[in-house]
Order: sequence, then C-alpha cells, then structure tokens
Amino acid sequence: MNKDKTLHKDIRKDFPILSKKILKTKDLVYFDTAASAQKPQVVIDELNQFYESHYSNVSRGVHTLSVESTLRYEDARKKVQNFINAKSENEIIFTKSATESINLVAQTFYDKYMSAGDEIILSLMEHHSNLIPWYFLRDKYGVVIKFANITESGEIDVNHFESLITPKTKIAALTHLSNVYGSKIDEKVSSICKRNNVAILLDGCQSAAHLKIDVQKLECDFFVFSGHKTYGPSGIGVLYGKENLLNEMPPYQGGGGMIGEVTTNKVSFAELPAKYEAGTPAIAEAHGLGIAIDYMNNIGIENIINHEEELTKYAYEKISELDFVKIYGDGDNRNSIISFNIENIHSHEVSSFLDVEGIAVRAGHHCCQPLMKHLGVNSTSRLSFGMYNTIEEVDIFINALIKCKEFFIK
Amino acid sequence: MNELLKELYQEIILDHGKEPRNFGECEIHNKSAHGHNPLCGDKVSLTLFVDDDDIIKDIKFSGEGCAISVASASLMTEKLKGKKLSFAEDMFKDFTDLVKGSEESLSIIDEDDSLYALKGVKDFPMRVKCATLAWHTFKNALKE
Ligand SMILES: Cc1ncc(COP(=O)(O)O)c(C=O)c1O
Repeated sequence: MNKDKTLHKDIRKDFPILSKKILKTKDLVYFDTAASAQKPQVVIDELNQFYESHYSNVSRGVHTLSVESTLRYEDARKKVQNFINAKSENEIIFTKSATESINLVAQTFYDKYMSAGDEIILSLMEHHSNLIPWYFLRDKYGVVIKFANITESGEIDVNHFESLITPKTKIAALTHLSNVYGSKIDEKVSSICKRNNVAILLDGCQSAAHLKIDVQKLECDFFVFSGHKTYGPSGIGVLYGKENLLNEMPPYQGGGGMIGEVTTNKVSFAELPAKYEAGTPAIAEAHGLGIAIDYMNNIGIENIINHEEELTKYAYEKISELDFVKIYGDGDNRNSIISFNIENIHSHEVSSFLDVEGIAVRAGHHCCQPLMKHLGVNSTSRLSFGMYNTIEEVDIFINALIKCKEFFIK
Repeated sequence: MNELLKELYQEIILDHGKEPRNFGECEIHNKSAHGHNPLCGDKVSLTLFVDDDDIIKDIKFSGEGCAISVASASLMTEKLKGKKLSFAEDMFKDFTDLVKGSEESLSIIDEDDSLYALKGVKDFPMRVKCATLAWHTFKNALKE
C-alpha cells in the first residue's frame, strides 16, 4: 500500500474530472471505470492539439496535413501493437468499439469458416456485446451456440467448457476478464481450444487497462477492446486478429479505404489492415488512444496492476466484513471489479444513495442478463477501480454503504 | 441525512416499496401488458378488468424492481381502481410531468395526492424511468 500511495497522489492530478464536486459539495469518488475510464489531461490536450494543428483525412492525399494525420493514425496502430504484443501492425484493426470488433469477427469468421450446424461456445457471463453478434449467426444461418457454465467463484467451468467441444465447434468467444466478477479467464481454456482446433476470441474490454496483455502468450486468435475503457476517447475500438485469419476472412464493410481496385463490375481489396477499415476512421480518437497508451506506459503497467490489486484486496476485505452485503464470486481471482448486493435493497437504491454521497457506482444488469438469471438476481451494484482510485475512497465508500443500509432498513 | 434522498424516499414510498398493494393478477381481466426497463432489468406485469362503461373495476401488478418502481406501480393501482379510463389518461400525463419536474403543468395531482410523494424523482433523472415504468405499461395495456 505504501509504495503506491505516491503513485496515486500524482496520478489524480492528471485527471481533471476527479476534482469535480457532486451536488456542489461532495468530492467525486469514481468507482465506475469498468463502464468507462476517465481521461488524463494529456489525452484531452492532445485531442485539441490534433484538431488545432494536424487534422485532415488519412491515407487519402499527399498534402502536408494528410501526411501529419496519417502518421499519427498509423503511429497509434504501432502503439496498440506494442501494447498487446502483436506480431505485426497488420494484425491491429481500428473499429469504433469492442462491440464493432466482435460483430466484425462474428460475421467474417462465419463467412469464411462456418456453415449451418457448426458450433460456437460462449459462457454464461458474457456481455451482451459478446452474445448478440453470435445470436445473429444462430438466427440467420442456423449455427449452434453452447454456453459454458460458471462456477460459484465466478469463473468458467473449464471441464464443462471442454466437454462442450465437438468436431463441429469452430470458435469460442469468451471474456478475458469478467465485467461482473472481475475474474480472469483460466489460461487452460486457450490451450484446450488450440488442442481441439477451435479458434478463440477474448473479449479484453475489462482486461486491457488492468492486466498486462500479451496476445501471443494468451494464444488467442482474436482479442478486442475499447479505447474508452483504457483511458482513451470513445468512438475507437481495437480488433487484434492473427494475420493469416485476417487475410483469409472476407472484408466486413465496404467503402473507401478498403479497396485495391474498383471497376464497374468488380473490386479487389486492400491489404491488411486497411481491408477491414472501410470509410473514414475515427482519426483523432485513434491518436487519443495512442496517447492514452503512452500515458499508461509512463505510469507503468506493473505499477497500475499492483495498485489496483491492493485496492481490490482492501475493498474486498472491507466489504466482506459487512454482514448485510453479498459479494458475487470470491476473492482469489479478482481484478479491479466487485459486484454486490445489500440484502433487501435494490441496486438502484444503493446507487442513488451513493450518488448523493458523491460516489459513482454502476447499478443494473451490467449488460449480462443471462448471468443475472444464473445468479437469480435482477441486478447488482458494482464498484470498479481505475489507476486513480485510493484506499481513502474505499473507506468513504464503506462508510456510505453502512449509512445506506441504515437509511433503508431501519 | 441528505434532503434530496429524504424527498425521494418518503415514508409512503418505502412502505409501498416493501409492501406493495394490489400485488398479483386480477382473477378476471380483459387487458394486460408486460413492461420492462431494458436499462436495468426491472419488470412489471399488469392486469386490468375494464367494464363496458370504461371503468377500471380491477387492477393488479406483479414484477420485480427497485423501491421507486414498485411503489409507483402500487400507488398507481390504488389511484386508478374504480376510475374511468379518461381520468386515468389524464393522470398519466400529470404523473409523467410531475416526475420530470414540470409541476406547473399539473391539472389533477396536487400536494395532497398520494402520487405527489414521487415528486422527488425529478432530482434523479436516471430514476424517472423507474417511476414511469408501471404507467407506460398501463398505457400499453389499453392499446390491446
Ligand atoms: C466485458 C465487456 N465486453 C464488451 C463491452 C462492450 O464495450 P463497448 O460498449 O465499448 O463496445 C463491455 C463494456 O461495457 C464489457 O465490459
């Protein structure tokens, strides 16, 4: 705890929104980074700077501004490549969000490698963004979706997962880090997929800013995340895909930028990564994401991880001491996210109460309705940490939680 | 304790939230609808019996939700039972104005009205949908 005290003190000054007062009097305690992370000043400044001094469309002209924009856009791609340790920058596709990345994979992977009756494995704790794109395939083309069970501790039941695999299984799409439990996927899952010749997509929305990501070590075929959850702007997402797969799969959308040659009766497609980037991309946002990655690297991913580990452990222990709170999942495999309910108080009440205390937590189903059903609840409250949170904030939260219970249950 | 919270969670709201009135399903009904707030997962099912003179003879609800949505549904059923549909429609408009903070445009609801207890919702814009879920479900039931 001591070592990161200094870490967060400096960090907090970098995030201007953290000095906001809620309802004019309460210090903001932002515990909703899993929904979206706040932005450091450099990202905000660089976005302005980009529009003020370098902005133009990319890859479309030879004038100075076009060059300046393109350089920054492609530089961001390299930063992402290094950030997740991809082999080549051709493996980094910019999309508008993780959601779009998953839709892209679902559609184009199906087109190339699947047909009716083939099987996909998901888990019961996937975000709707990693469910619906696959449901589309089921409903349109008759592919079969199977769901891996979730254990009491909030992890994929690896044995059950393995038992679902058949010769017809083509791909598994699973969350790398659960946005409800904060649990990280068991590494065995990737090896099982590999052994059985099943492609694997990891949804890295919650892991990208909170774990060290190495797509080669993870042995995944696809990895997706969103810029806005990694301290960058919204409107930019990333798809990592193995180069041979991206080469074999067909393009997703058609438009400018993704073509080789167009005549009135045919078209050839651009090489990677442009092949999957139809239309004018999110240029400034990609640059902003690159800056956010620089920022995280400057702080040090290891430092961020250590700090968030301390926070999570501390919060988990403190909340566990409250006998009126139920935490979902257990404490061992938990990264920066804690979902809970107060007995007999709906998460909306908890969230409204905490809001008035200046504390932002998420209430609801977290876009995981199948998981809520599995848990037998309608909704939960969730606190989630970013690098800027502090132990003191956890204490404020714990006190507020006690007051909340006293307010509603007299 | 914070004033906004006191406004939001008046005794009557907490009471109806915990012990909703008219909970269940009407034995005989000729109108019904399910309501769902996709943002948070709250659900309400409404059944009604409306007679030939357009009087709401019976109205019941069931479902799961937060104190605001359950209390609002409960208060709504109390309010509408025995009333004419035309009155209910006017009430719908008044109630949505109330929780959105347009108090000046109210025509029926006044300070003595039990529904007035939900006025505090206006300071929690994200909760307006909780308060209006039952009322929108009621509207949908009439469309059948
Ligand atoms: C695990 C997980 N997957 C996918 C998403 C979707 O991300 P986005 O809405 O940025 O596309 C989220 C964000 O809420 C998430 O937490």
